[in-house]
Amino acid sequence: MFSRGSKAPAVIALVASVLGLIFASNSTLDYAAHLDRRLHNVHCSFIPGAAAVPEAEACRAAMYSPYSALLKDQYWGGIPISLFGLGAFCFFAAFSLYLLLAGERASRRTLAFFAVVGTTPLLVSLLMLTISVTQLGQVCKTCAGIYISSALLAFGAITAWLSARTDSSRPAVSFALVPAWLVALGVTALAPAVVYAASAPDQRPYITQCGEIKQAKIKGDNPVKIHGARAVQPTMLFEDPLCPTCKAFHDRLVTENIIEKLDIELVLFPLDNDCNWMLDSALHPGACIVSKAVLCGEGNSRAVLEWAYDQQEYLTRAGKAGENTLRSVIKQRWGESMLRCVDDKKTDVRLNNHLHFASENNIPVSTPQMYLGKRRVCDEDTDLGLRFTLSQLAPEVLK
Amino acid sequence: MTQAVDPGVPGGSGAGGGAGAKAAIIGLAAGLLLTAGSALAVRSWTSTAAEHLAEPEKEKPKVAIADQAEVAYCTPQFKQVLERVLHSCGLAAEGEGARRGCKPADVKTFASISDDDFNALFTPLKDRGGVIMFDEGRDELDDRAKKLLEERWYARKGARYFFVVARASKTGSQSKNNALSHRRANSVMFFLKQLSNDPEIEQKVGLLWLGNEFAQLSKEYCSWPNSRAEEKCDEEPINRSAFVSWVDCRL
Repeated sequence: MFSRGSKAPAVIALVASVLGLIFASNSTLDYAAHLDRRLHNVHCSFIPGAAAVPEAEACRAAMYSPYSALLKDQYWGGIPISLFGLGAFCFFAAFSLYLLLAGERASRRTLAFFAVVGTTPLLVSLLMLTISVTQLGQVCKTCAGIYISSALLAFGAITAWLSARTDSSRPAVSFALVPAWLVALGVTALAPAVVYAASAPDQRPYITQCGEIKQAKIKGDNPVKIHGARAVQPTMLFEDPLCPTCKAFHDRLVTENIIEKLDIELVLFPLDNDCNWMLDSALHPGACIVSKAVLCGEGNSRAVLEWAYDQQEYLTRAGKAGENTLRSVIKQRWGESMLRCVDDKKTDVRLNNHLHFASENNIPVSTPQMYLGKRRVCDEDTDLGLRFTLSQLAPEVLK
Repeated sequence: MTQAVDPGVPGGSGAGGGAGAKAAIIGLAAGLLLTAGSALAVRSWTSTAAEHLAEPEKEKPKVAIADQAEVAYCTPQFKQVLERVLHSCGLAAEGEGARRGCKPADVKTFASISDDDFNALFTPLKDRGGVIMFDEGRDELDDRAKKLLEERWYARKGARYFFVVARASKTGSQSKNNALSHRRANSVMFFLKQLSNDPEIEQKVGLLWLGNEFAQLSKEYCSWPNSRAEEKCDEEPINRSAFVSWVDCRL
């Protein structure tokens, strides 16, 4: 593709490495910023250096996902994998710079080594892309930036090797350098992660600061029980079936296999002023009707809830279209008897009792909320810090 | 086995020229600089987060707290009467044998307001509530009364308390009217217990029963939603009644 001695592959690899470095830096910066337990804008653009923005759902979803970091039980939020990318791209940038400056004085073994290790970010990127598409259902732009940089780097590294592999005039180098370079790659890849782990603030004093609920159980025949297969931890969840954050939270509980260890009492808290007097306008129109469907699920409530989460966008559109549209969607999926139950006054009363339970306990008007026993799990500990918080407050859940 | 070594490759030595060595040194230096720089950047980001964590958030977004409804008619005077009813008429009392309901003498004492002012307090509840009508000298709920009562009971929304203000007509002796008014309040309560099957209903429903000595209703109240809207109404039948309503006030 490139003529012998062309510097283009090295230039491509260098540019790719610098781009990868920028995207990995942005991703790491976003992650580290959230260590202060506050909400922040997130970088989510193909343009390197573009400012962080508040609307960045795909990037936020990727960040909150269980695949974004390692050692989440040991460190609040875990060690973001972008840190390894950050370190690795430092190595590749430096190595590309060397290849660019050395030109034809770079040995074929050096180029072969670079071709091999230069494809590893692409392999990791392909794995992460597969996870993004299959598990998260979306690809964040910053992550895509890293994937593209990785592909460019692999292209540069391989073409550099291909254009020089028949060039016998190049000098040879000792094979002993290969493990030395590998060690260097390992050290540079690990260095940012080690620094992060050593300097991340201790979150333990904060995770117990969000108060307790007055009543640990909802009375009468009102609760919706979701009993995990190996339930060990009494838990109360306040959820709205049409709330995207609740869906993401529920997905995390399922994906990380946490839900099976929880003995959940689900309190429905639809953010829809059709039934919820605490709101002036509906945040999620139709959430009252869908909540009643969950109540009517009885022993099958989890299935109805998960259906609502799976079909959330569709149900939200139906909710905005009007009550009848939503009712027909529910009838189509769950049948006439479900609709009769939804329309029953007793179901209205049940849902009303859920809302009164929330008001008697003076909980914040927000969803989702998680209570381990009576202790409230802070909002920031239900996403990034979920596993760490559980490891501290309910370690048996993670066993 | 030995191998020729390129002096220009990182770690290489020999007589290959200074350009290769220079490239290696620059590459090595760049690698060290980039790695150190990224480590320092990470350290700086985590330190900044730690500083923010330690300092209280200045503009913390305010989150509403879940609570019972509180609407415009919850004036201080209305709430004062409401509170007195709750405390004097048993809603706030706990335990077996706690007194339930308020008789006319109690109401006169705790309300400390005139008949008209007392009735006026309930004016904002006109559409939220309803007047359950009874036959003369009777305390049984007819089907229309049950229907209206059921409708009003199920329209709870964010209210914490349900009020029942039973009355007896102006005719007859005071003691007879007091007893009749009391029975009417109890009829409503009994029906609500059956309807709701709520073990905590005692903490929700406030009963007042008035005879003809306090807060009788005038003919104007015939225009309020009632269970016998199609029948002739004046000061006699409108006082053979129980006014019922959820009250959207916090205390």
